[in-house]
Amino acid sequence: MPIEKSDLLQGTLDMLILKIVTLGPIHGYAISQRLRQISREVLLVQQGSLYPALHRLEKRGWLAAEWGESENGRQAKFYKLSPKGRKQLDKEESNWNRLAEAVARILQTAQ
Amino acid sequence: MPSWKFPFRKSPIDRQFDSELRFHIEKLTEENIAAGMTLEEARRRATLEFGGAERFKEELRDVHRVPILEATLKNFQWAVRFLRKSPSFSIVVILTLALGIGANSAVFSAIDAILLRPLPFPDGDQLMFLSQYNTKVKSPQTELSTLRLEDWNRMNSTFQAIAGYYAEDGSETSGALPEKVTEAFVTPRFLQVLGVSPALGRDFTPEEQHFGGPAAVLISDRFWRRRFGADPNALGMKLRINDFSQSIVGIMPASFGFPNRDVDMWTSVPTDAPYAQDRASTWYRTIGRLKMGAALAQARANLATVQAQLGKQYPKTDADLAVEIAPLKQTTIGGVRGSLWMLFGSVSLLLLIACTNIVALLLARGVQRHHEISVRLSLGAPRFVVVCQLLTESFVLALIGALIGLVVAGAASNVFRTLAKDLPRVEEIHLDARIVVYTLACSVLATLLCGLFPAIRGTRGALSGALAQNSRTQVSSRLPLHWFLVGVQVALAVTLLGGAGLLLRSFQALGRVSPGFEASHVLTLHVSGSWGETADMKGLVQRIDRIIETLRNTPGVQAAADSAELPGVPSEFQTELKFAEGPADPERKIVAESRFVSPGYFSTMQIPQLAGAPCQEPKLIVSPSSPGGVRVEAGSVTVLVNHSFADTYLPGSNIIGRHLQVQGNAFLRPEDAGEIRGIVGDAREVGLSREPTPTVYWCISAPSPDPYYLVRTHTEPMALAETLRKEVHSIEPARSVFDIVPLEEHLNDAFAENRLRTILLTFFAVTAVSLACIGLYGTLSYSVTVRRREVGLRLALGALQGQIVKHFLLQGLAVTLLGCAAGWALAAAFARVLSGMLYGVSPSDTATLFTVVLLMLLVAALAALLPSIRASHVEPMQVLREE
Repeated sequence: MPIEKSDLLQGTLDMLILKIVTLGPIHGYAISQRLRQISREVLLVQQGSLYPALHRLEKRGWLAAEWGESENGRQAKFYKLSPKGRKQLDKEESNWNRLAEAVARILQTAQ
Repeated sequence: MPSWKFPFRKSPIDRQFDSELRFHIEKLTEENIAAGMTLEEARRRATLEFGGAERFKEELRDVHRVPILEATLKNFQWAVRFLRKSPSFSIVVILTLALGIGANSAVFSAIDAILLRPLPFPDGDQLMFLSQYNTKVKSPQTELSTLRLEDWNRMNSTFQAIAGYYAEDGSETSGALPEKVTEAFVTPRFLQVLGVSPALGRDFTPEEQHFGGPAAVLISDRFWRRRFGADPNALGMKLRINDFSQSIVGIMPASFGFPNRDVDMWTSVPTDAPYAQDRASTWYRTIGRLKMGAALAQARANLATVQAQLGKQYPKTDADLAVEIAPLKQTTIGGVRGSLWMLFGSVSLLLLIACTNIVALLLARGVQRHHEISVRLSLGAPRFVVVCQLLTESFVLALIGALIGLVVAGAASNVFRTLAKDLPRVEEIHLDARIVVYTLACSVLATLLCGLFPAIRGTRGALSGALAQNSRTQVSSRLPLHWFLVGVQVALAVTLLGGAGLLLRSFQALGRVSPGFEASHVLTLHVSGSWGETADMKGLVQRIDRIIETLRNTPGVQAAADSAELPGVPSEFQTELKFAEGPADPERKIVAESRFVSPGYFSTMQIPQLAGAPCQEPKLIVSPSSPGGVRVEAGSVTVLVNHSFADTYLPGSNIIGRHLQVQGNAFLRPEDAGEIRGIVGDAREVGLSREPTPTVYWCISAPSPDPYYLVRTHTEPMALAETLRKEVHSIEPARSVFDIVPLEEHLNDAFAENRLRTILLTFFAVTAVSLACIGLYGTLSYSVTVRRREVGLRLALGALQGQIVKHFLLQGLAVTLLGCAAGWALAAAFARVLSGMLYGVSPSDTATLFTVVLLMLLVAALAALLPSIRASHVEPMQVLREE
């Protein structure tokens, strides 16, 4: 069953976006496609959540954006990770891993 | 969050959202087409899948929305809510600021109108006042003759035009009763120089400016409304002024009042009239408009050259003359500049005291709010945001204060008009956009002065620590900063009070001056007369003598006389004189004040005759060749000199019987030497604040057609006003009697500027002292609150109530004393600024400063007493239990 945004932990979407953007300049449509593909259709992110998240991250200075030409020759807004964003991603990733580990341990131990 | 939106529809950032989202939908559509849908179906599905674009564009906007405006708005809402919760605090602060800002704006409105703004004429800064003076003798000759004025106008290269004017009071007799009017006589180019045109009708035509041409007059807006009810048909009507019929050709705009507001009409004087061809008769005050780009220095050099040429051409009349040029604004303003800036400085100190007071209040309040602020900071509010919010609170207070202050400033023009109606340009003082902007700027300044420091200090310090602690215990009970602020207020208040004290002392000293004449029970009045009458000097002299005689014979009148100038009202006519018998001391120039009076002047003014005989009017002999048709019989001119004249210029020997000649004056020619008949007592003729100077009284009762008549009455002078008016009217039905005013009122008016600055500075000083006392009271009360526990403990341990009172009282007084010491030094500096405005008191007058300090200490002691007594009534048990 796909997980919708409301079920995502607060802040998780931001982390996932930052992670995907590490691959290089990428526009919003491609980000939503990637999220879906990589999560094997588990994570369905609504555009209504994606774009505000993108803009929020840009405003915080974690993403840098610029307009460029897309593969089909149209103008699109490309996002890429800023140095500040990379630091933030590292921090969130390690936090996430610790949390996941802890949760997993509790689940295992409680069995 | 308030549902406030940007007022505009499509911003650049909105367009960016659009294209970003459209790109996404197009990609979805492409994908759907690839999956085998038709174009339309693909687009429909894509749009559907994407969801309501409008809805989350709003979300995007939320992300980008500039937070400043909303935050500010929210800050304002919080601030207003917060201030309403503590109304007494808010009201005190608002009223303090309203007073501080209002008084400041009021004085600024006067400074702006009088000093800063150009004169109310187009390019008013190009207007210059021109005068001539004799380089050889010390006699004033500021007016110009027609011919010289026309020469200057024609020969100069730096002025667009030069024109002259003089004004006199006349009588208009086309109505039922004669009406006193003020008529200005102007040369051609008068309106051109000022850059003003009639609101209705036209300027004079060239024919009207030639001798023998039609007689035309321009009337003022005021006269037009008063006399014709603003009827446009007034144009072309005839007026009868001084028995001379003139047609109205134009009506001037309401804003125009030059040379003064009282002028009712302007008449052109032909420059080619036969009586205007004398280079020595000086008639006109002269103004000129500089050419674009011409500087004052250039104009001075240029006119100096012109006058030098004239000196060669007319050596007899023009050789010794030089030209003086000053901006018209400067000559209009005169000496009030110093007073106004002094008042502005004082009122700025007052605002500073008000702000200091509020800083102390806000600091005390910051302590009460420490807990709230700590909570907000620990919940993650950035310090900057909290500081902004605190500043917004101060700003709301300052803004409300400023708005009330604007009302104060709006009333300022009335205050200035009441206190000093003769202040130059006083009618131009009014509330306008510039004053509003200035007031708002004041409120911003006040916000920063009052709010910034307490806000920064209030948000400083440990976060979690403060939360855990009880706010009471972590306040230093010594409050050094609060006491420092009280000291500053006291020092500034003492400064202002010291200045006010000196001004009051000099005002008092002026009141005690014995002027050498008796001003009470003297009524002054005018009877209209025109310079045209000087064509028949004999008739003029007879008329004036007859009026004086009529006045003197009116029941209730003790004595009557006339004089060219009022005694004690500042006006100078310094002339250089010579003894006809040869100089007593050849090295020494004789310079004396010349006064022109009728023989009855001395008994009317009760100036005692010390020696010799009374003076007499000169005898006139018919002489058709002389101007006026008569000349003075040789040796019949008599003068009286005052004691200081005799003492200064001929000490030790008998001055009576000698003859005085006037140098370089057209009115009194050397051949009209005056025989000194006697010596009278010294009187302060040229101003009550001036020591009597050597003075020569020329007994000539008709020095001008419109002298001041002086009437000494047995009873209250104004009670006779109507009787005198009727008596004069019965012998001179075609003339108007006007300006019937007691001499004492003229003397009072002469000190209008003095009174204005004394009253205002005293008002500011009293306010400053009150504010300082409120500051002292507040800080001491606060100190008592903070130290309640300590006081309770002391009382519990056996301290007497009296000791507690004494302790707090002394603390308050010690700070006041330190403030007074600093204030003494500041007041000494302030006194130096005032030194030019003082009379009869030295700027470093210790007695005044000492009194001021004593007064300050006394008032401060009263202010400190209440909180001190309250401290001694602390219930020890209750306080100790509270903890």
